[in-house]
Amino acid sequence: MKASRVEFLRLFGGTTLLTRQVASELFRPPLYPSLVMEQIYQIGIRSIPLVFVTAGSTGMVMALQFGLGLEKFGGKLYIPKIVSISIVREMGPVFTCLMLAARVGAGITSEIGSMTVTQQIDAIRALGTSPIKKIVIPRVLACVIAIPLLACAANFIGIIGGLAVGANDLGLDPVFYIQKVLNTLWLPDLASGLGKTPVFAMIIAITACYFGLNVKGGTQGVGNATTKSVVTSSICILVGDYFLTKFFWILEQCL
Amino acid sequence: MPVIAVKNFKKSFEGREVHRDVTFHVEEGECVGLVGGSGVGKSVVLRSLIGLEKPDSGEIWIEGEEISKLSERDLVKIRRKVAYVFQNGALFDSMSVFSNLAYPLREHTKFNESQIKERIHAQLEEFGLAEAVNKLPSELSGGMQKRVGLARSMMIDPKVILYDEPTAGLDPFNTLKIRETVLRLKKKGVTSLFVTHDMPTAVAVCDRFCLLGDGRVKAEANVDKLHTHSSGDIQQFIDGLDGG
Ligand SMILES: Nc1ncnc2c1ncn2[C@@H]1O[C@H](COP(=O)(O)OP(=O)(O)OP(=O)(O)O)[C@@H](O)[C@H]1O
Ligand SMILES: [Mg+2]
Repeated sequence: MKASRVEFLRLFGGTTLLTRQVASELFRPPLYPSLVMEQIYQIGIRSIPLVFVTAGSTGMVMALQFGLGLEKFGGKLYIPKIVSISIVREMGPVFTCLMLAARVGAGITSEIGSMTVTQQIDAIRALGTSPIKKIVIPRVLACVIAIPLLACAANFIGIIGGLAVGANDLGLDPVFYIQKVLNTLWLPDLASGLGKTPVFAMIIAITACYFGLNVKGGTQGVGNATTKSVVTSSICILVGDYFLTKFFWILEQCL
Repeated sequence: MPVIAVKNFKKSFEGREVHRDVTFHVEEGECVGLVGGSGVGKSVVLRSLIGLEKPDSGEIWIEGEEISKLSERDLVKIRRKVAYVFQNGALFDSMSVFSNLAYPLREHTKFNESQIKERIHAQLEEFGLAEAVNKLPSELSGGMQKRVGLARSMMIDPKVILYDEPTAGLDPFNTLKIRETVLRLKKKGVTSLFVTHDMPTAVAVCDRFCLLGDGRVKAEANVDKLHTHSSGDIQQFIDGLDGG
């Protein structure tokens, strides 16, 4: 019990410190835009298939479930509204980020972790360069740029998925469906969903880099760190989601 | 003024004391051999000299500057003049040999691509690695990786070189090549600290020896006094390894 509390404090302190280092080095030259582009490709472009499949099937399943449920009460016409709102406000961004916490988080931690155990991180330092600039910042920036865009695309694909099921299985008119969606969704829905994603992106990137840089104990250590990184960022996303939802809820009430 | 001076260096890992009170210095142009059994903390000393480890207490002076309390950012200028040759090469394994060697040049010099290319080819020729230029580190033998590591740390003409067992695991021919490289750099006035278990090479390149043990420098002796002086401990250590 005590050990886990110490580990928690170490994690909290370590990630805070890393975030601070990232902030202080972010705009101080030399900057490496090409490294950021490379990471956007690795993290963003190469995640597209995963995100599309996740979002598409989420949309389809939700349309089906709501369809079955609402049909009983004759509420089938509300399906476009309910499905699109739940996707845009919650399912799209959060599912995307959870999937990316696994794919991207694991990738970052295992890559940095192997660099740590083979002393490549030390070599970066020994050659007079900064691992924060060379390794951490490109990944953090790539996540913060790519993940919100991916979530945007996920929203779109999710709604299309719902539309496909609505038209095929539930016998809704596609034009009616699209009109309903367009009438329902307005900016606060989109903003409160997508507004969470930069925060989730930070959580994924910082957690993954932290665990990678602090690997101890060889190859097995890399494996352990990767598991911990994915579990930690997933939990932080789920817990953080509650607070962010509440935050945006309060914000919407004020407006 | 010595180029490297370590005073009362103390370092523990997870409650286990590795260094209790290490004190030694290296003068300009000198090559000092740091010897001692496996695990006495030779690599820890070298790492501390470029700020990769922080001492628990004590001082580390590089060219008149106390570095043990410098921040990562301020350590950059130390690391540009002090090269560390990693025990295992520590090459960037997703980059080709060429990119590995280009890394310090691109970071610290204003050379254009063709100058970089020229320098790298000259360096690879020098180290007998010309045919490896486009290979990935994983495609090289251990000895070649080591030599690439050595070549990389020397790309930007460091003033001080810290060698961490540069000849371990090399065949006699390559050992000889490394020995020649070290001597050539020494002639150019480079100051060096040479950690090794390879005593014939150490005796050939070093001016002085420090024997590390029990968390301190147990004995020191000049190489020419090895057989005359009462440098019992070092002589014993060298004979033990040399003969064995
Ligand atoms: N990062 C670290 N964490 C924990 N212990 C460490 C760390 N670095 C070094 N040590 C410990 O410090 C001691 C000295 O290690 P070091 O690598 O300096 O030995 P060495 O003298 O270079 O040995 P060798 O000749 O085998 O290379 C070892 O017992 C090692 O366990
Ligand atoms: Mg060592």
